[in-house]
Amino acid sequence: MGIGTAKPVTQSDATDLRDPAYLKIRDVIYQVSGIYQPEEKLYLLASRCAGRMGAVNAKTPAEYLEHLTVRANREAELRLLLNEITIGETYMFRSPAQLEALRRVILPQILEAKSALGFKRLHLWSAGCSTGEEAYTLSMFLREESEAMLKGWTVDILATDLNDHSLTVAKAGIYGEYALRSTTELLRRKYFKPHDDKRLQVTDPLKSLIRFERVNLRDDSKMTFFKGMDIIFCCNVLIYFDLNSKRKVMQHFYSNLLPGGYLFLGHAESLYQVDDRFHLVHFPGAIGYWKPPVGYTGGGKP
Amino acid sequence: MNTRRLEEIRPKIKALEAMPAVPTIVQPLTSMLRLPPEEVDMERVVELVSYDSTIAAQCLRMANSPLFGRRDTETVRSAVLALGLKRVEAILLGCCLSRIVPADKWAFDAATFWRHSLGCALVSSKMAKLIGYPDPEKAYLAGLLHDLGILVNMIACTEDFRACLQAARDGRVALHRCEEEHLGFTHCQSGKILAEHWNFSADVIAAIEFHHHIVPESAARPLVSLVYLSDSLCRLRDLGYGYYEAMGVDLAGDAAWTALVEHYPALAKVDLARLTMDIDGAMEEIVAIVDAVFSPGQPAAE
Ligand SMILES: C[S@@+](CC[C@H](N)C(=O)[O-])C[C@H]1O[C@@H](n2cnc3c(N)ncnc32)[C@H](O)[C@@H]1O
Ligand SMILES: [Fe+2]
Ligand SMILES: [Fe+2]
Repeated sequence: MGIGTAKPVTQSDATDLRDPAYLKIRDVIYQVSGIYQPEEKLYLLASRCAGRMGAVNAKTPAEYLEHLTVRANREAELRLLLNEITIGETYMFRSPAQLEALRRVILPQILEAKSALGFKRLHLWSAGCSTGEEAYTLSMFLREESEAMLKGWTVDILATDLNDHSLTVAKAGIYGEYALRSTTELLRRKYFKPHDDKRLQVTDPLKSLIRFERVNLRDDSKMTFFKGMDIIFCCNVLIYFDLNSKRKVMQHFYSNLLPGGYLFLGHAESLYQVDDRFHLVHFPGAIGYWKPPVGYTGGGKP
Repeated sequence: MNTRRLEEIRPKIKALEAMPAVPTIVQPLTSMLRLPPEEVDMERVVELVSYDSTIAAQCLRMANSPLFGRRDTETVRSAVLALGLKRVEAILLGCCLSRIVPADKWAFDAATFWRHSLGCALVSSKMAKLIGYPDPEKAYLAGLLHDLGILVNMIACTEDFRACLQAARDGRVALHRCEEEHLGFTHCQSGKILAEHWNFSADVIAAIEFHHHIVPESAARPLVSLVYLSDSLCRLRDLGYGYYEAMGVDLAGDAAWTALVEHYPALAKVDLARLTMDIDGAMEEIVAIVDAVFSPGQPAAE
């Protein structure tokens, strides 16, 4: 995720890092978003604040803290600061091994279980979708399977993020070479149309499967709305969350998932000691977290 | 299980020892490997290595590879010291054992096979240390040799084994399942026969025999379970047999896991996700060692 990825910052950029107001700003952000900056990373936070401080004309971090906590428009300001902080690094087909696991193992398993019960609907969720690449990747994946494994199925993708700017970009669906660097020529031709000489835009068949929505993963009341999920992707989002907020989010994901459903995290993330109700399931090149159906007693294979 | 088939190939397996390619150093080597590292006579190792010009050359090549900082090693002695006992063992065993399979009988890339064996050796000993298993060296050796039976099958029933591998590839299923179906026995049994014939220690033989299905009463259960789990992890981390095995494994719910936790409660606390990421991290070394023994792409070392 974003802190630090957008423009390079060095420690020397921020001279007043020891200002305790930064610690308080850090805590405010943590409370509302679960994003946590350890002391060594405060300079990143400082550099993100610098932009907003200029915009609201706050002279010191302490003054800016007031904008975030006591001024009338504090909620709006907090949201603007969060937009600065959560600039999401992402691209299409970032985790091919996850998709392969989906295609070869997970979907066959879920489809079989669901159709046995007479269900023909599948719900996916890209939580922390940033500028939408992950959601469109899933959409391409599902479209590609629509004449095969998913014939006769209705599928939809919920794509949520906290960052308004990212969501606007996501909805427009216009992407350059960076986002598309792992997308094959074939898929580009099939699902995109030229936008300008450098960029492509997603076509309706891709868009129509997705619903974009602003959701703060720490918003406990909102999080209870998204029940009945089959597979949740929450990749590279929780890395800056501390243990407690991770636990909270996991509780929501667990209850939002249907029994037998899966959760995927980013490559370097683990639920170790975060949540032990999920079962860690190994797939070739990928790890998924599985919500076992009631009555599952182990035995190695989900 | 079709035991008649196994009996048919038994004489062929016995005959393996008489084959000219069977390296005279396998015997001294395996008995040496049974010793704790501090009792191993390095001069004897240097002697064994110098004895065989191909192996000596491969040790030199490895010692001079980028992984060891290209240190212009010229003598076998300094190469052995630079590499350390573990890597020399791996090279020795890799060379020796692959020579028992004539080049035209390899069903798949020899480098892929040794990458898997070596990966399994490294993961077994790593896991052994993690949980406090008293003999990580033994775990290493058992990991290295666990699929000995695959070599046997390539020699003793070349065409049938090729068909098994092809069926496994096509169906994206585990190799031993296809062996059961097509051969009536698996590399676990044929490996055991050769290992007994070569006088491997009882627990290593057990690891070879039971590394695909833990049976409750099997001897040396902790070692067997270690190898079983390492084998699974390697196949799940791109150190398998060079094809996609469609599997999702809940390792912690697996019989091997449960058996091991009984003996080593510390295992229950192992962060499996991290262990998996560690394996990914160790990949570079594994690939380098194996490539030092086999020029990539060649069917067998010569
Ligand atoms: C690095 S991006 C991940 C993009 C995509 N999932 C991927 O892996 O390629 C992280 C995203 O998480 C979002 N995020 C961070 N905290 C959040 C929160 N509390 N609620 C919702 N989204 C959040 C950020 O806005 C950012 O867009
Ligand atoms: Fe095996
Ligand atoms: Fe194996």
